[in-house]
Amino acid sequence: MSRGYLIRRLLAVFLVLAIVTFAVFAITTMLPGNAAIMILGEYATPDAVAALERQLHLDQPWYTQYLSWVGGILHGDFGTSLRLSLPVTEVVGEAFANSAMLALTALVVVTITAIPLGALAAIKRGTAMDLGLGLFSYLGTALPEFVTATLLLVFFAAPQQGIFPAGGFVAPWESLTGFGAHVVLPAATLGLVLMAHVARQVRSEMSEVLSSDYIRAARLKGLSEKRVIRRHALPNSLAPAVAVISLDIGYLLGGIIVVEEIFAWPGLGRLLIYALENRDLPVIQAVTLLLATVYALSNLLSDIVIALLDPRVRYA
Amino acid sequence: MTAQTLMKDAPIAATEKSALSIIDYSLSYKTANGLIPALQNIDLTIPKGKTVGLVGESGSGKSSMAWSIMRYLPSNAVETGGAIRLAGEELLDYTPFQMMDIRGRRMSMVFQDPSTSLNPTIRLGEQIAEVLMRHRGLTKVQAFAEAEAALARTGITRPKEMLQRFPHEASGGEKQRVVIATAFACEPELIIFDEPTTALDILTARQILDLFNQLRDETNVSALYISHDLGLVSRVVDEVNVLHKGVIVERGAVDEVFRKPSAPYTRQLIGAVPNPDRWIGADAPAEPQTLVKLDKIGVHYGAPSRIQKMFWPEDADNVGFWGAKDVAFEVRRGELLGVVGESGSGKSTIAKVLAGLQDFEGRLEFDGKNVASRKAIDRAYRRRVQIVFQHPDASLNPRQKIGKILSRPLKLYGIVPRDQIKARIAELLEMVRLPAEFADRYPHELSGGQKQRVAIARAFAAEPELVICDEVTAALDVSVQAAVAELLVKLQKDTGAACVFITHDLNLIRQLAHRIAVMHHGKLVDFFDRADARSDDRDAYTKALLDAVPVHAAPQETASA
Repeated sequence: MSRGYLIRRLLAVFLVLAIVTFAVFAITTMLPGNAAIMILGEYATPDAVAALERQLHLDQPWYTQYLSWVGGILHGDFGTSLRLSLPVTEVVGEAFANSAMLALTALVVVTITAIPLGALAAIKRGTAMDLGLGLFSYLGTALPEFVTATLLLVFFAAPQQGIFPAGGFVAPWESLTGFGAHVVLPAATLGLVLMAHVARQVRSEMSEVLSSDYIRAARLKGLSEKRVIRRHALPNSLAPAVAVISLDIGYLLGGIIVVEEIFAWPGLGRLLIYALENRDLPVIQAVTLLLATVYALSNLLSDIVIALLDPRVRYA
Repeated sequence: MTAQTLMKDAPIAATEKSALSIIDYSLSYKTANGLIPALQNIDLTIPKGKTVGLVGESGSGKSSMAWSIMRYLPSNAVETGGAIRLAGEELLDYTPFQMMDIRGRRMSMVFQDPSTSLNPTIRLGEQIAEVLMRHRGLTKVQAFAEAEAALARTGITRPKEMLQRFPHEASGGEKQRVVIATAFACEPELIIFDEPTTALDILTARQILDLFNQLRDETNVSALYISHDLGLVSRVVDEVNVLHKGVIVERGAVDEVFRKPSAPYTRQLIGAVPNPDRWIGADAPAEPQTLVKLDKIGVHYGAPSRIQKMFWPEDADNVGFWGAKDVAFEVRRGELLGVVGESGSGKSTIAKVLAGLQDFEGRLEFDGKNVASRKAIDRAYRRRVQIVFQHPDASLNPRQKIGKILSRPLKLYGIVPRDQIKARIAELLEMVRLPAEFADRYPHELSGGQKQRVAIARAFAAEPELVICDEVTAALDVSVQAAVAELLVKLQKDTGAACVFITHDLNLIRQLAHRIAVMHHGKLVDFFDRADARSDDRDAYTKALLDAVPVHAAPQETASA
């Protein structure tokens, strides 16, 4: 991969993040209405409001506030949670780790199931299996996760014959089986939609590749079908899947907020809802910024993977 | 069962002298409208060590023949009888699994377009070596060494380096050499060449033909050479078969078929092959008057942005590439100016500049007035300069009827009053020799040649003074090509419009153009009157181009046909 390509992509990521910090700051701080009054309620005494304004630096011009906020971030200091009276880094860090475990489990499951399924559907195009997968994909994309989650709860976590716990969290380092049991349903909820999405993408790309001239040429060279599929067709069908997965990470980050709430998973999503309900500004800012960063970095990662898969991209 | 088949065929194989024999073979395709015959009672024999040509236009069934031999037919193909024997062995009896062992080893194929028949994400070396590993059981190291040797035989100068490249890092000619090396790799008994030079540039095509002849002499391979181009086939084959609508209408030694074609279709085909000695153009305008003047026209694709220029001013010239640079010539009123060049020479770039579709640097003068930039091109200019593109499928809106398509320039430029539009459309259709009912049809109901006529009618509907024709005949069959070219010449003569005819076909342009411009790597390298085409002071590149084009023998036969 050319170094210039990588540098350009990295610069773009930094630019995006710089814009995001500003947007996050602007939305939470510069909007009309006094944050201190919102936090304390409309019957707060002026003294209390003034004190809180000082504490939040609301009495200073917006650019000073912004710069000191960004400056803090660069030193790893996101401020102090207004409600929990703990450093934001600590609060967010733990929630982030929990969310990451859930999201990664979902992603890994999606990747290792959806890609072979999509490829298989393309190879067996027009058969009952292809049709079945297509139907499943439509269902998967059509059902919102709160419906999927409810259905999964009814079928797999009903009180009488519950196979999996209906909610909660056990850290993997405490009990791996406990973590496994708790992660199945939320990860499945998140994964179903993505699986449908990715499988469809792989199927359509793979179908196109399979009908290309170079696949025909490979077959007419007498290569075994196994080699034609694995070496010639599959790698060329993955680039769009990677792009879709990285776009889906954005979706995943949104979905996680709903899913964590349903399954009582103590991650970023629940923290964000808690912070919003309690107007915990520093926490809201930190979580939003973190989600944006994850999104930007996952896009960067997908660009790099695509470039590795397709030599033509590396020089573009 | 396999052993039995082989036993049964063994005596035949021993006595058979031909590499491939096709006997009374018929093939149909199952469609919604029933069985459509593609090949009917084909008899074709390729003697050992000989090359046999199969010539036909699109839809003649020549590709179906190739797929039948390779046993690679689509699922809706129905074989309705006959035999295909490779060295006496009946291929129709083999299972798909057995065929996998024969393909690539005993018979192989070279395809039309090397840029689509090579896998874009696999290095060229592996694409050759995989065949050797599959069929000759070589180890990876042995296979790569053998691949290098095979590439060297195809005349690639640094084969070792080429093995490490990806397809997009090689030129068209180099890629086709890789495909050819792959086809020859396992020393097959039969190689099918399916239009191997059609996608290549003139000079490259010539080299590939020479390479083919050289390799055939070295290896004594038997070959089936499929092409639409009779003139080209005559250079490589011993015997030619002319295929028309699934039937072989004529066969014989190449010279024989050329000199004394017996089937009417063959005569028509030979007559349609562009022959530079047969002038079909109009008379040159009596007194030369300049209509368009290009001076130092340049087009910089991927030009650096303002920010890039600010930070890296020294790079400004190296960023992107120049699609055209310092191009200067003029087009006279009423003349047909041919612009010739290979792909990437900048000829289409110039067309886009003239049509106002491309930003440019330099001076463009139209009818004595300076056109400063693309933005200065106004509606009046756009009416007076029309363009016809290569692919009518892409340039005609598939959702509009022909009448609607033709009415648009009439309305846009107010050529005729509203109530006369219908009548004018009928006139336009008549002008391009299409029936007036076509106004109610959609483009997909027309053939390729008819669609191109519609595109031409649309250009002339605006009553232009300059018509730019960008490879308008390149996507058409030979027999249709000639008719479209003649139509253009007639229209031009009748309307007095000037025409810039862009093409890669030197023979064709020498039949039509009054003057010819030759472009190469974005530069104008030569500009001459048609009478001076063979003059000694032609540019070396022009000479090379002229020498590379096959001009078939027996022009007197063509004239009488």
